[in-house]
Amino acid sequence: MRFSVRLYCSVTKRIGELTKQYANLPEKYIERATEQVEWKTPNRINYLPRTVKKQPWQFRFTTNRPWSDEFRRQNEGFVRRPVFVEPIKEWMIYRGDRVEVLVGRDRGKQGIVSQVIQERNWVIVAGLNTHHRRMGARKDYPGMIIKSEAPLLVTTQVALVDPSDNKLTKVEWRYTEDGERVRVSLRTGRIIPVPHAAEETMDYKSRKAYVETDKDTPAAVVEAITYEPKLKTFEMEIMEEMGIKEDRVPKKTYWY
Amino acid sequence: MLRRLLSSLELKLSHSNNMARDTRFNRRAAPFLQLLCTESTCFQHQITQRGFKTSQTNYDLMDFFDDKKNWGETSIRTGRPWKLDELRIKSNSDLHKLWFILLKERNMLLTMEAESKRECQLFPNPERVDKVEDSLKNLETVVRERNRAFSRLETGTTGERPGSEEENFLGLEEYRQHDEYSVPKSQNKPYLLAKKDEPQPTQKEKFWFITRWRRKQLYEQRRDLRRHQYEVIQLLQKFPDLDVDALKDKYPDVNVDAYIDRFWNNKVQGNRKSNH
Repeated sequence: MRFSVRLYCSVTKRIGELTKQYANLPEKYIERATEQVEWKTPNRINYLPRTVKKQPWQFRFTTNRPWSDEFRRQNEGFVRRPVFVEPIKEWMIYRGDRVEVLVGRDRGKQGIVSQVIQERNWVIVAGLNTHHRRMGARKDYPGMIIKSEAPLLVTTQVALVDPSDNKLTKVEWRYTEDGERVRVSLRTGRIIPVPHAAEETMDYKSRKAYVETDKDTPAAVVEAITYEPKLKTFEMEIMEEMGIKEDRVPKKTYWY
Repeated sequence: MLRRLLSSLELKLSHSNNMARDTRFNRRAAPFLQLLCTESTCFQHQITQRGFKTSQTNYDLMDFFDDKKNWGETSIRTGRPWKLDELRIKSNSDLHKLWFILLKERNMLLTMEAESKRECQLFPNPERVDKVEDSLKNLETVVRERNRAFSRLETGTTGERPGSEEENFLGLEEYRQHDEYSVPKSQNKPYLLAKKDEPQPTQKEKFWFITRWRRKQLYEQRRDLRRHQYEVIQLLQKFPDLDVDALKDKYPDVNVDAYIDRFWNNKVQGNRKSNH
């Protein structure tokens, strides 16, 4: 019995829907892979069920994905100060969208969104807003310099581009006459379709491109309807099918 | 080490089980496809009479281990778990077969996980266990749905284990599942004796507990509220053009308008001079 709203009862509640969709993993696994349990009481009668673990609000989300090893290492040890993320009513920018950068040295340049990090309101635009970092430097080796993109805030630092005239615009979610939810440019009134790249996951680029593996059930078998309603319980039908006959009448029992 | 152990195990078993092994099918290329892809019904398969075993291939204890070609792999790709709606259109016998396919898969995965841990090796894609468990849970839900519907129609009850909301010894309402006995309560001597030994606090003692319990709940509630208020204040100060509706949606327990007045409209609540 709880009177107030619990915003942070599990880590998975803080992880964005788009992130989960990209992971294509069961939520239970994401929870299991992300949580950092320090100590848990054994499942015995002389212990109360107690768990000492990192609390959901103590995690700091970064460009590393929550179920990855890098994320675990980043969040180990002391708790960093919380980051305040602006609440957003409706998410607008998806992977594969063409956006214009509004800040920094790449201001005015357009690029394609390569990654969406919903927990921090971030997007990563391919090849824009970059910095150089030196990797693997040692005493005898100067290291390699690589170019890496810094994330940009969706609220103020990028804007969607209208594909009809390639200029930036504000957008809104509306419904078509068929009841389909679409993004509409407020300046030109044109529909900006959500790109195909938005349905990309860790496992496949698009649903159609998914290659069935050995253990996958074929789609035709999954879709086949074999259920015929009968006035029998599950057990009765299975027993009949296997030729098991049960004539014994159970003795009367009492439940209390 | 794992491979050596398994190969020696297999050798031993193959010596003892030569007769059974001769009749076996080809090495399993796709065990699920074999089981699932037939024309008449989905999961119908040839039942070979070999004791209690009804699967097509006979690997004995090797059924608990993954296919050899997957050993040492860094990633094994699989699809998603079965959804409720997909299971609802399957017949009872299909569900029965699918249950055992999934159960064997789970046993195999847990064995491989334990074995990998023992050998200090990588267990690829551990989310497979969760996927199979999701499927099993959904399947059980569908079977329960069907049984409950039958029972409602025939007897008017759910037919499941009964239970009731009862007051426990702390004075709290608690759902308790009932137990099954062969005799009614009044004749059940051991039950009554055990019941007699249970703590029976007075009403005063129950109140003592409940007041403290409620106070603890209140403290938790206030702690959450204070945390939310702090977050609202920080957000309003950090983001001057914030979407207020979204903020109200996220923090329904906080009076956002008061904080907007204080931080955006500069109407300070405290130390206000009265006009009269």
